[in-house]
Formats: sequence, C-alpha cells, structure tokens
Amino acid sequence: MRLKHAEEALRVRELNFQLIVESIPAPAAVITPTGEVEALNQSVLDYFGKSFEELTGWANSDPVHPDDLPHVIKVRQNALDRGETFEVESRHRRADGVYRWFNVRGFPLKNTDGRILRWCVLLTDIDDRKRAEAQLAGEKRLLEMVASSCALTDVLTALCKFVEDTSADCHCGVYLIDWSGPKFRIGAVPSLPATFNDPVDGLTVSPHVGPCGHAALSKKQVIATDLKTDPLWQESAIRPLALAHGIRSHWSTPIYARDGQVLGTFVIFHSEPASPTQVQQDLIAQVTHIASIAIERASSEAALKRSEAFLAQAQHLSRIGSFAWRVATNEITWSEQLYRIFEFDPHVTVTLELIGTRVHPEDLTLFHDMIERASSSSSDFQYEHRLLMPDHSIEYLHLIAHGTRNEDGELEYIGAVQDVTQWRSSEEALGKARAQLAHVTRVMSLGALTASIAHEVNQPLSGIITNASTCLRMLDADPPNVDGARETARRTIRDGHRASDVISRLRALFSRKDSATELVDLNEATREVIALSLSELQRNRVIVKPELADELPIVAGDRVQLQQVILNLLRNASDAMSSVDDRPRQLLIRTEHDADRGVRLSVQDAGVGFAPESINKLFDSFYTTKSNGMGIGLSVSRSIIENHQGRLWATSNDGPGATFSFSIPSVAEGVAVSAVVALTDQKPAARPS
Amino acid sequence: METRPLISVVDDDESVRESLPDLLKEFGFAAQAFSSAEEFLMSKHLSETKCILLDVAMPGLSGPDLQRELARRRQEIPIVFITAHRDEKVRPRLIEQGAVECLFKPFSEADLLEALNAALRLS
Repeated sequence: MRLKHAEEALRVRELNFQLIVESIPAPAAVITPTGEVEALNQSVLDYFGKSFEELTGWANSDPVHPDDLPHVIKVRQNALDRGETFEVESRHRRADGVYRWFNVRGFPLKNTDGRILRWCVLLTDIDDRKRAEAQLAGEKRLLEMVASSCALTDVLTALCKFVEDTSADCHCGVYLIDWSGPKFRIGAVPSLPATFNDPVDGLTVSPHVGPCGHAALSKKQVIATDLKTDPLWQESAIRPLALAHGIRSHWSTPIYARDGQVLGTFVIFHSEPASPTQVQQDLIAQVTHIASIAIERASSEAALKRSEAFLAQAQHLSRIGSFAWRVATNEITWSEQLYRIFEFDPHVTVTLELIGTRVHPEDLTLFHDMIERASSSSSDFQYEHRLLMPDHSIEYLHLIAHGTRNEDGELEYIGAVQDVTQWRSSEEALGKARAQLAHVTRVMSLGALTASIAHEVNQPLSGIITNASTCLRMLDADPPNVDGARETARRTIRDGHRASDVISRLRALFSRKDSATELVDLNEATREVIALSLSELQRNRVIVKPELADELPIVAGDRVQLQQVILNLLRNASDAMSSVDDRPRQLLIRTEHDADRGVRLSVQDAGVGFAPESINKLFDSFYTTKSNGMGIGLSVSRSIIENHQGRLWATSNDGPGATFSFSIPSVAEGVAVSAVVALTDQKPAARPS
Repeated sequence: METRPLISVVDDDESVRESLPDLLKEFGFAAQAFSSAEEFLMSKHLSETKCILLDVAMPGLSGPDLQRELARRRQEIPIVFITAHRDEKVRPRLIEQGAVECLFKPFSEADLLEALNAALRLS
C-alpha cells in the first residue's frame, strides 16, 4: 500500500513535470540532475520532427548543429556540476533540415531544503535576431572595405560570399556593365568555375543573354524560377551554360547608380527551382545597395586618379605648375610640377621666403611689390619674373593668379605658373634666324644687283667718256668745232646727271640697314626696282610691261623690304621664263587698288608655271624648283608681307606661267596726306623719274 | 662717193647712239646708229658696213643673236662688242665666236681706235 502510494506520488510528480512543460507555450524540456531527458513538450517534438526516444540521445545525433554541439555540452555539464543556471545560444535542426538559432536556458528546480530535483530547459527561437545581427555585421564589414578603398573585385567577392553564407545553398555573382558596348564584365562570381564565368565576360547586353540582360535593360528585377522549364528562357544564351553547371534558378537584380543608371546586376543562382523569400529579397536589396556604393566609388576613384594623372602629365608637358595661397595664414600649396620648376625638394614646406631665395635678384623688388599688392586687394594679377637657379641658369616664369574669398571671408589665390624659358629662348632664336634669312636674301639680291648696278653706272659713264673724247677732238680741230664741242659737253653733263641718279637710287635702296616704317608709294618703289633690274631682265630677253595704277593709295612699311619682295618676284618670273623660246618672255608687273583700300601688286610671267600640288610648298624655306636657288626668297618675301599685315599668294595663269601677288593695307587717308607732306619735306631733293 | 669706211653702232642706249657716232666721225669714219638688231638687219646700210659696234644685251635680238644671224647669212662683217656688263667670262666666248674685240663700257678712245683698226684690217 505504501509502495502503491509512493508509486502514485511519483507518477503524479512525473505527470506534474510533463504537465508543466506541456503548459509552456515554447519548446521546453525537463531533465534529471544527472542530465537525462525526462520530459519534452509537444512543440519540441514538432520542431525537431523526432520522437521522444530519438531526442533523448541528442548529444550523439544531429538536433544541435555540429559546430555548436561541443560548446553546448560543455556549458550544460558545467551548470549541472555547479547547480547554477545556464544559458547558451546554439543552432538546432528543424524537421525540414534547416538550422535555426535558439537561446537555450536551463534552471534548477529545487525542494525546500535546496536539493536539485530536476532542471527545466527553455528554448527560445532567436534566429531572426541572429540573422539580422549577422547581416548587419556582414554589411558593416563590406562597407568598411568600401571605405578603406579595397579593390572593387575584393569587395564584390566578399559581398557574394556574404550572401552565400547568409542564404544557404546558393551561388552569387555581380556582373558589371560597360555601357560603351554595352557589354557584361565579370565583377565577381567567386563560387562558380571559369567555365561558367569566361563565356559571360564580354557578352553584349541584350535580352537574348537571359535574366541578366532583361534586368539590365528593363531596370527591373528578373526572377527565373526554373531555367529548364520556363518557356521564357528557352532561347537565352545563358540557359545551356547554366544547366551544364547544375543551375536551375537565376534571380537577377539591377544595381542602380544614384542617377538611376544601371551599373550591373546582382545574381543569385540555385541548383533547384526557387523563388526568393521576403528575407532573401531584403538581403538582395541590402547588398545591391552596397554593391552600388562600391562600384560608384571605385569608378569615381578611378576617374579621380585618371584626372590627377592627366593633370600632372599636362602640367609636366606644358611646364605649368599650380598653386594655392591663403594670404592670412601664408599657407601655400604647390603642385608637383611647381616643385620641379623651382627645383625644390617636394617635401619642403613652401613659404614666400623660400620662393624669394630663387627669385632673380633684379626681380626681387618686383616680387615683393607683387606680394604686397596681392595681399592688400583681391584682384586677379599676372606678372613675369625670372628665377636664378642654383646652377646660375635663368628661368623665365609667367604667373597668373585668381583671387577669391573662402567661406570665412579669407583671401585666397589660386594660380598657375608657367615656365616660359624655352619660349623665350626659341623666340630669340627665331628672331635671329629670321634676321639671318633676311640678311642672306639681301646679300643674294646684292650679288645679283651688283651686275645691274655696274651696268647702270657704266652706261652713262661710257657716254661721258665718249662725249668728252669727241669734245676734245672737236676743240683740237683746226678750226675748232665749237658748236659740236658745246653739244657734246652738254651731253656729258646730262650723262653725268644720269649716273648721279643711279647712285641716288642705290642709296635709297641700301642706306637703311634695319627695318624702318615709312610711307611708301608702291608705284615709285616698283619703278625703282624695274629700273635697277631692267638690264638683267633684258639680258634674259624678258619684256617688262609695267601697268601701274593711277592714284594708288600710300602704304606704310619698310621700303627696302618691300622692294626686296618686288625684286624677288621679278627675278623669279625671269627665271621661270629662262627656258621659254616659243613665245615672248613677257613679264607684266601691275599695281592696282585692292579691296578695303588695300594695294595689290602682281607679277605675271609666261614661264613654266608650277604644279598645282606644289602651291603650298612654294613658300616653304628651302623649297625650290631652281637648280641653283636656295629657295629662301619666297618664304622671306611672305614673312615680309605678313609683317606688313598683308598676304602673298600664287596663282596659275589661264595661259602659260604663273602670277605672284601681294596685297597690303594702305594707310588712312588723313594720315597719308599729312605723312606724305612730312615725308616729302624730308627728302633732300626731288629726283627726275 | 662715200669713201670713208662705214661703222654701224647698234645699241639700245640712246646716249651711246648719240655720242659714239660723233667720235667715230672725229676719227674719220662714217657712222650710223641703230637702236636694235632688227633695225640694223632691215637697213640698207647693212651691206656697206665695214664694222659693227654691237651692244650685247638688247631687248629682242641680242648682240650675239645678230652675230649668229649674220653668220647664217654669210655676211662676214667684223664685230666689236661693247657692253656695260663687265663679265670676264663673256669676252673670250664672244671672241671665240668670231668677234674682233669686246670692249667694256666705259672704254677709252685709244682702246676703241685699236679695236676698229684691227677690225678694218680684217675687212
């Protein structure tokens, strides 16, 4: 009876424990002080999908995730040994095979004298919280990678792995889009082999590709639940490739830039037909956002690096350095190129004093004046100064600065400094070369002219001597022929004047050494040149026909230089006709009014002319069709005419030969009249023309 | 009737055409002046001319052109070239081609007379 009573009491107590756990609305268990499972409620059985008997051997089976099992056993044993409450977080396998996180709390049930009778264990599902925590940690890690400028491939790889870890049994990939193609580029598909990735890299973005192409072009998420059966994807390029790699479902989500453009697509592949859950959609939304940040940041960083490199290269090439100068604090920021120009160590801090040590001593006053002026007003300024370098060479700098006020109202200059040393020296060299060329042509013309001069002078001298001889003979005759002598003496005087005229003309042509601007009557200048070169032209059997316009406006210029040009054109025309025997060697030199009050002079020959294709080369230095010419004449002539604000050109005649012309502007009427008066006053005497 | 030898002056320079005939007449020659080779070729004085004082450079037919033309016509009139263009290379070439002498302007009375005498000895 006592035994029966005791059994009854025990049964009631057992029932009580079972009753207690059954009454708890969450998974709960009762275990003995030694750790054996005594009671489990229905929700535990339901969750695990196992029988009470199966679950009593949990430690040797799979209800607890194998990674968590040792820890769980250890914590539990410790608590049992010490009789203290325990708490552990671990993953537990649900009936469908999915592990979920639980908070497992065990606390002892004691009798009145403190002996532990049983342990009660409560399992609280914390999977959502754990997942959110893990997701947050993963996202944080990814954002840290983006922020610390990790390579884009690394960030995208980590991003894919994160999603693969978070959402079981899937492969992830990021496909970037190069819209210039547009083409797909593999961003990262870390868990699929090259045999799957390589064929996709470089594919043209089109709906034909598959879900990716659709998503990129429609800017919408495309879920291909089953590539194998869905008729929509039967023709797509990706389908055979995916199926060959055991992929059935393909979810493609566009990655948007801030401006809405599609940067790429984020793809999740599954080996079974699948469609995304809300949790997965949230995850996709989150990672595509991170991917977008990473891609945009990478491209803007690449663009920044590119533009920095461009700028540095451009500064180097153009020898331009840039600087910023905050006047109040004297903070100066220099570009790399500026350090190079000044030959300062790029690590030194630039100060005005330091700059001053490089400024040419003669320009120091200018430099200080510039600083003072810049400090007191915020206007833009530019100036040129020289540097005296440590090797005693001199550099010429051109500086331009723009003054602004920053947010605090402080004056700040941003400017550019250009090293113009090479320009300066090449300008000088160019000037020298031009002078030399001009001298060469002058000397060449002189050589050719000497013959003409001799001829022109010898002709009247010959007359003088002949007349003087005749005169003497007439006077010596008996009776003296006084009338005849008087006539010959008169002719002697006339020829003397003629010789003197020639000399005057020569003096006019050669007295001025340097370029001098004066008022020039182009007709008169032309007549002089014709007169001086006539004999040479005649020797070449050239018939000169001048057609000089009446009332030709006066031009301002260097008479000698203009006459050199005319002489050059005459000689060229004559040379061009030297082989002509079947027609008159006629040379037409014409002056006329040109448009806009200009004056035009043209020299037309009946010579060999020039090939149309060589017209552009005619004016090149050292281009010549003559075997004995240096080809400098026309190029120097052109530069002389251009210096007179005019132009020199060549045209082929309708008939044989060519015409070379130049036109130069005339001086304004009022100026011309007064200046001509002044000019005429200067002339010692008018000479007969 | 005219017994004095006729010297023809062919030169485009007017002062030569004025002065030289007067001097030639003072020398005792007869003289005619022509402003171009063409004028001389068409002149009736061509056949009487005993010597030509011929300018080298002239518009149209030059002095050497006239020399060649006369040679072609087989009219062998001694020629003394006169030129204001002092080119030492021209002289031997002209003499080689049959000229008696080549005088550079301005030439002296004595040189002219010597050249004329040499020319007339030939004719």
